Amino acid sequence: MRIVNPSFGQEAPSTEKVGANAVDWKTDPIILFSNSKPNAIELLEGVRERMGAYRATDNINHAHKDSPAQPAPEAMIDELSKEYRAALIAIAD
Amino acid sequence: MEPAPETEILDLDNLDQAEWNEYAMAQAWGDGFPLVMPTEDLVERFVATCHGDNEPIPAMSPRRVIPTLPVMAANAVMAGCRPEYFPAVLAATRAVLTPDYNLHGSLATTHSCAPMLMFNGPVRKDLNINCASNCFGQGHQANATIGRALQLILLNIGGAKPGVMDRSTLGSPAKYAFCFGENEEESPWEPFHVRRGFAAGDSVVTAMPSEPPHNINDHGSTTGVGILTTIAGTISQPGANSIYGSAPIFIVLGPEHAQTLHRDGWTIADMQQDLFDRSAIHISRVSVENQESYANMDRVMLNDRYPMTATPEDILILVAGGPGKHSAYIPPFGFTSACSVRLSHV
Repeated sequence: MRIVNPSFGQEAPSTEKVGANAVDWKTDPIILFSNSKPNAIELLEGVRERMGAYRATDNINHAHKDSPAQPAPEAMIDELSKEYRAALIAIAD
Repeated sequence: MEPAPETEILDLDNLDQAEWNEYAMAQAWGDGFPLVMPTEDLVERFVATCHGDNEPIPAMSPRRVIPTLPVMAANAVMAGCRPEYFPAVLAATRAVLTPDYNLHGSLATTHSCAPMLMFNGPVRKDLNINCASNCFGQGHQANATIGRALQLILLNIGGAKPGVMDRSTLGSPAKYAFCFGENEEESPWEPFHVRRGFAAGDSVVTAMPSEPPHNINDHGSTTGVGILTTIAGTISQPGANSIYGSAPIFIVLGPEHAQTLHRDGWTIADMQQDLFDRSAIHISRVSVENQESYANMDRVMLNDRYPMTATPEDILILVAGGPGKHSAYIPPFGFTSACSVRLSHV
């Protein structure tokens, strides 16, 4: 029997997949990205402090999207991906 | 079980109904209820109802793929729709893809919102969409399956898998289906879609990510101001997303409450202003931490009170339901809009 696949979709032009190289978590610049929920920045700052036990933290920085209810703008993601090798993201609540 | 190939048409072994449901559930294509098989011939009958509709469909978040008409129709078939419902499903899909609806945010949020669909105009009668007694409840194929079809589209095409991309903490029963129509015939005011600039003869669907309806019981009040006192008290909730968001809220007046309000001379604008003023939440009912959070979000207080919406006009009022002294409050996701789309193929 032949059915129409209910989950089929054509890939949108902007969903280009980019290969990523391995990250050196001891030295590479890292962005701590907040979803702008309450206490997300405090949580990420705690992660940054703990990372200070085994690496320099002067190239670990914070960023946040404008609203917890909106996706981050593509331009913002593009900009951060040029500057940083890895991101730690606060999701949910 | 192997995941299905990523092709539009799947050639499966012949399956009976039980085997088909096992297969579909294993593919995570369902909501837990049995699904109708989306065979090619059934799907073609649905697509034929939208013949000539060439308006492109944008990519659907959060998966960011562009749906095709047959694939959307396959989900409507699975939901149990009749073919003639498909233009309504398509318009509802377009409504939730309106940028102001904020589909990505509403599907990925921890909030319990689901897409509320509300129909106006001739389509309500054409498709037998229930607008009267028990309009939020069970018993009408159009309400149940149009709402369900949109949910399956968002699940299967949009990729809003519960616990994966759909991060709702608690979910809600509205995530199965939430679809009704305005009871225009028993409303003493202009229909909702006419107040939004559509013609009375247009068939229109309005969508907003919402919590399920909260009942407002008022058997005692015999005046409009009494009923509004009860409504204002019911919608004045510190736990509602709209206290810090930008979204409108819906007040669905039962016809008996509506008649009393109209008898006492209340216009839609008067009711909006009264509810805006009297539902605002005094600062003493809001935790200190939330006060700080709202201050950081530049949320404006008026006379030591947080309004439930940004403006009185964001309190959207309509009439639905049957006999009885009940109305309802439909709280929104925090950052969204009520998005209305005219049906083009009915």
